[in-house]
Amino acid sequence: MSSLLVTIAGVILVTIFGIIAGLFLMGVDRICAARMQMRQGPPLIQPFIDIRKLLSKDSQVPANAIPSLFNAAPIVAFASAVTVLFYLPLGSILPVGTPLPMVGEYGDLILIMYLLTVPALAMVAGGFASGSPYASVGAQREMVTMIAYEFPLAIAIIAIAWRLAVAGLVMPFSVNTLAANPIWTVVGPIGIIGCILLLIVLAWVTPAELSRIPCDTPEAETELCGGLLVEYSGRNLALFSLSMAAKLVAMAGLAVLLFLPWNISPLIGISGIGAAGADLVFFLLKVIVVMFFSVTLVRVVMARFRINTVVSLYWGWLTTIGLIGMFLIILDGSMSLGGCLS
Amino acid sequence: MIDSFTLSTGFGAWNAVFWVIAFLIAFIIGWLIWSRGEKTYDTSTSATASFLSGNAEPEKEAVHIRAGNLYWGYTDALSGYYRFIKPLHTGNLSDYFLAYLFVTALVLIVVVVLK
Repeated sequence: MSSLLVTIAGVILVTIFGIIAGLFLMGVDRICAARMQMRQGPPLIQPFIDIRKLLSKDSQVPANAIPSLFNAAPIVAFASAVTVLFYLPLGSILPVGTPLPMVGEYGDLILIMYLLTVPALAMVAGGFASGSPYASVGAQREMVTMIAYEFPLAIAIIAIAWRLAVAGLVMPFSVNTLAANPIWTVVGPIGIIGCILLLIVLAWVTPAELSRIPCDTPEAETELCGGLLVEYSGRNLALFSLSMAAKLVAMAGLAVLLFLPWNISPLIGISGIGAAGADLVFFLLKVIVVMFFSVTLVRVVMARFRINTVVSLYWGWLTTIGLIGMFLIILDGSMSLGGCLS
Repeated sequence: MIDSFTLSTGFGAWNAVFWVIAFLIAFIIGWLIWSRGEKTYDTSTSATASFLSGNAEPEKEAVHIRAGNLYWGYTDALSGYYRFIKPLHTGNLSDYFLAYLFVTALVLIVVVVLK
């Protein structure tokens, strides 16, 4: 019973962390983008102010909409985006559930990959439930975008887990295994090149997952006036904004887990709660770095892709790069085993 | 208690009961935030009409996305692939069996070569 209460408390704390960290990251993103465009930019707390303002505004429900689905979609999107965070380590704070006995965790990378699609599916459902032509086109584009980026993402995750399995590690899809065994320390020189290619692939999957420029085709303000969010306002839009904030932390956290899982507390020689705090701050710094290069920088220097260009890029170029990376990792793993390919 | 519901494959694990509990808690927190927002809205016709940049709303049939167009961006981007693959789908069962045999043989060859 006590373990259940600890789990529930962990879930609530992580949810609060996800909201605050996500909105903080959105503030950092907006300031960085503004500075790159020679603008002052909004204050760091602007996303918090925006949410408060949205909650005070009317939440219109269109006459054509299916009200129950239209209103439920933002809450489902928020809940599912936050749920991903329960399975990710936040610095040295292990996912909710670990270090309880038994298997020691409640979900792995495959589950995270599936859960990342749920907020997008909720947005698609909300878009179609809006009863608006713009929203329908946006929802259709969101589905196509989702199909486009899932394959390269799966390649990156499976290649890394396969290499960990070849290295003799049990539970290679486990987030704790990944956190304790950075992939760079497992692979040889060829594998490092493969990992760099997979890192590039994951960096490009991030803006598509978050519907950010150049992959914001589902929203496309200048042509679809907001696309699948065109009819959303007030508290519904606030919940969608919060879900995007939590998803930003989740995607950047996934990249950190796969490629930058190190903690700072062993280096500075502290332990206990102080170590957890220092590692959490270090985790946020790594998340900011990931977000800057894969979201902020990309959205400032690029324009929006057409929807067919998104598919060509992800199913063509990025899948090819991912497969080359996976091939190099397989080659590296085979060489470490004494060459089973020969 | 929750731990006994964890399914482990040896490569990974997941616990459906935990997911349901966690999702419900997150949903309740989301609902609490949502319920704190403004509940009323302008229900007049002009306010609840779909936004179409000031244009009159066309008939539903005219703007409905048909199933064939649902994945337009996808099929358009992979049009070269579809040009190749569509003629292979003849509707003749013998052709499908032939394709199945060919792919199985190909996979077996690849497996033998790798081994």
